[in-house]
Amino acid sequence: MTSPYLHINGIRKTFGDVVATDHVELEIGEGEFMTFLGPSGSGKSTTLYILAGFQDPTAGDIRLRGKSILQTPSHKRNIGMVFQRYTLFPHLSVGENVAFPLRVRRASQAEIATKVKRALSLVRLDGFEDRMPANMSGGQQQRVALARALVYDPPVLLMDEPLSALDKKLREEIQYEIRRIHQQTGVTILYVTHDQEEALRLSDRIAVFNRGRIEQVGTGPELYASPATHFVADFIGDSAFLTGELAEVKNGRATLRYADGTVLTDVPMHGVGARGGKAELMLRPERIDLSDAAGPQGASLPVTIEDVTFLGNNSAVTARTGWGDPLYIRLNFGHPMMGSVSRGDRLHVRWQPQDAHAFTKE
Amino acid sequence: MLMNFDKLGAWRWILSGICALMALFLLLPILFIVALSFGNSRWLIFPPPGWTLKWYGELFADPRWLQAAFTSAKIAAIVMVLSVAIGLLASLALVRGRFRGRAVLRGFFLTPMVLPVVIIAVALYAAFLRLGLNGTLVGFVIAHLIVALPFAIITISGALETFDPSIEDAAILCGASPWEARFRVTLPAISHGLFSAAIFSFLISWDEVVLAIFMASPTLQTLPVKVWTTLRQDLTPVIAAASTLLVLLTVVLMIAAALIRKGKSR
Amino acid sequence: MLSFLTPARRGSGLGMAMPALLLLLAFFVIPVAGLLSRSVTEPVAGLQNYETLLGSATYLRIFFNTFLVSGLVTLITALIAFPVAWALAIMPSRVAAVVFAIILLSMWTNLLARTYAWMVLLQQTGLVNRILMATGIIDQPVQLTNNLVGVTIGMVYIMLPFMILPLYGVIKKIDPAILQAAALCGATKGQALRRVLLPLATPGIASGALMVFVMSLGYFVTPSLLGGTANMMVAELIVQQVQSLLNWGMGGAAAFILLVVTLALYALQLRLFEGRAR
Ligand SMILES: Nc1ncnc2c1ncn2[C@@H]1O[C@H](COP(=O)(O)OP(=O)(O)OP(=O)(O)O)[C@@H](O)[C@H]1O
Ligand SMILES: [Mg+2]
Repeated sequence: MTSPYLHINGIRKTFGDVVATDHVELEIGEGEFMTFLGPSGSGKSTTLYILAGFQDPTAGDIRLRGKSILQTPSHKRNIGMVFQRYTLFPHLSVGENVAFPLRVRRASQAEIATKVKRALSLVRLDGFEDRMPANMSGGQQQRVALARALVYDPPVLLMDEPLSALDKKLREEIQYEIRRIHQQTGVTILYVTHDQEEALRLSDRIAVFNRGRIEQVGTGPELYASPATHFVADFIGDSAFLTGELAEVKNGRATLRYADGTVLTDVPMHGVGARGGKAELMLRPERIDLSDAAGPQGASLPVTIEDVTFLGNNSAVTARTGWGDPLYIRLNFGHPMMGSVSRGDRLHVRWQPQDAHAFTKE
Repeated sequence: MLMNFDKLGAWRWILSGICALMALFLLLPILFIVALSFGNSRWLIFPPPGWTLKWYGELFADPRWLQAAFTSAKIAAIVMVLSVAIGLLASLALVRGRFRGRAVLRGFFLTPMVLPVVIIAVALYAAFLRLGLNGTLVGFVIAHLIVALPFAIITISGALETFDPSIEDAAILCGASPWEARFRVTLPAISHGLFSAAIFSFLISWDEVVLAIFMASPTLQTLPVKVWTTLRQDLTPVIAAASTLLVLLTVVLMIAAALIRKGKSR
Repeated sequence: MLSFLTPARRGSGLGMAMPALLLLLAFFVIPVAGLLSRSVTEPVAGLQNYETLLGSATYLRIFFNTFLVSGLVTLITALIAFPVAWALAIMPSRVAAVVFAIILLSMWTNLLARTYAWMVLLQQTGLVNRILMATGIIDQPVQLTNNLVGVTIGMVYIMLPFMILPLYGVIKKIDPAILQAAALCGATKGQALRRVLLPLATPGIASGALMVFVMSLGYFVTPSLLGGTANMMVAELIVQQVQSLLNWGMGGAAAFILLVVTLALYALQLRLFEGRAR
């Protein structure tokens, strides 16, 4: 069995009573673009800082190519990093900023000259060598920071919300640059963000952080189509949750009973649920359909339409279930029901069995 | 990671060590005089062979010490009041005024702070010789006021700058006269600045040596002048006793200032 | 925003500056100008006072002493203050608060009390000599007062806070992430210190050093108490000329030279920092 390229092995970090990360376990392949996605305070930065060597974990290990790097001080880890704040050296020109890692490694003048030029051209800042950081826009500064982090060909590049200080348009522009640079250099990237769109756009795989733990790791489509936890389902994409009683759990399939007597059978069940406990059914607005007729048992619900809003290429429909919970449905333009639904209609929502998921209620 | 204390490794101990040595260097002379003031060695042997209060006895037995302290306090109190009053007016002019050359005026107001005191002292001495102000209370007050005023102006205009004048405008729109608005709205808002200015001015006057040496006469001298003339004769432990009382005063004022700052932040 | 009301209702505000202005004109500008003018009018009109001051070895020695002591004091305080300010900026805040309290206590303790302490500590039979002898560094008591060694020690003591506080302000403002970036870029602690932290702290060191140097140039109390009459500095010279010799012309000339150097250095500082701000 070959060891993974980068192995974050059971990292736990506490600050006094605060548990910043707990049992963070992750294997990252060479050249992979891995994103840490999660709300504020969920331990993404802490994990990254431990990789960078700014903090020591309370427990666990980090292995690069099978060898632990925890004993290696930051300046010998050879890791690149772009920070959330602008961290260019304000007293050095752009060229000297990018040359800095090479100078401290005592590279030759000729090598420095060619590598700086190449790195600046990689981030499309050719000819900016003599500018001072203070005279550059935020986006340009972050690109210089990227060049500085890549100029010494680090095996791993860490990025901690590098775009969060930029406006939306610039952010999207640099996202494309980052993708291109990733493809061009093949560097392994660990990227932190709390913006799901950014994560989906950039990453090969996403690790969803919540309260110091990784809830699920997977590609964007995997996380969307089969979220492992209620948190992931809620965080990625839109969804509605319908709380009911667990009538039965068998072989990872649940039977749910609702207050008005509706029973849904054969729903994929995540987490441990006991009979008689509460469970939530997750439905995504764009994965459910409206119809006059009920669908197969367990993949259909009767609803009353409350509101219809036309949004151009789709319509947003708000409906209410028999027991009073709201449910949202998105009808794409051209859907046969699009012109005909109206407030007060009694219809049925239907879905493919694999699109519904039940989670134990916390 | 030079800005992360826990990640400095061995450097952490070097830095802490230098810091501790520096703190000792600053603290030891002060503790040393306090100890000497209670020691019974006339020749200031340290550690003292025994302990005594006789230097304090001598200090309080000599009416000239008490008189000098009283003179110092009187001058410092007058300087404090004048410095805050004149400083407040000048700060209002500098911060709120609408005339040209305010920056130049500000620079001018601060020059007594940057010039060597000895020049001001000698110059005032010459002027006062002509005016007959040497050795008078007025002479002392004027001299100390000149050097205290810049500090008062810095402190008060600093406080004024953080105060939004449109609040005063609002008070005027509510029917207050401009001066009433200033007294009821602006003064309370900058009270911490006024208070710091008062403490600064008092301490500057109370501790001032160079000007005082020139202003003093045999019949009118401040505490620093008394210390100075005694020091030039011999290093009697009575000075240690006087110094200890001065240190005590400093500590009390520092604690008062800290408490006020705490009160303000709440 | 109703500030448009302000000028009409309140006048220009110049009147409020009058008390301070008149006070300083009468008791600062005119007296200082008077003193300086006496340097070219007494005992007779001409520049002979300046010729004497700058032409005689005795007086040049005094200027040399002044610059030497001020330079040494500046250098030593800078060397101590940089690590101290750095440590204060990053150490746990409770510990830093204790160190700050000590710095402020020493700064606010009466100047004469502090100088007195050093006179006692540094005298022949004083504690410093006894410790040096007990540890075997010296066999005979060394002369530490009535010379420039004593002056330098006493002045370092007094000037340290004036170097530490501005330097602390500058270092505290440096983003720690910049130093983290330097470390990840491969810089050892020494390289990060030399190539990043020191350059970033330089404005603080420069302004602190200039302030300490200028203050030292015109210092009177400590040099006269710890230096003795044989090792005068400029401020003592001025006082001596005026008070003991009643030679107002020479006193005024020395004051003028001191004044010019002081103002020139302040102008330099203003230029340096205006340049940086832009
Ligand atoms: N130096 C520290 N001392 C104490 N607590 C800390 C420290 N650093 C982080 N924490 C705590 O650890 C938890 C995780 O913080 P972390 O910075 O890793 O979150 P994050 O996921 O990066 O959040 P954000 O999106 O806001 O950057 C938080 O509760 C935080 O308050
Ligand atoms: Mg973070």
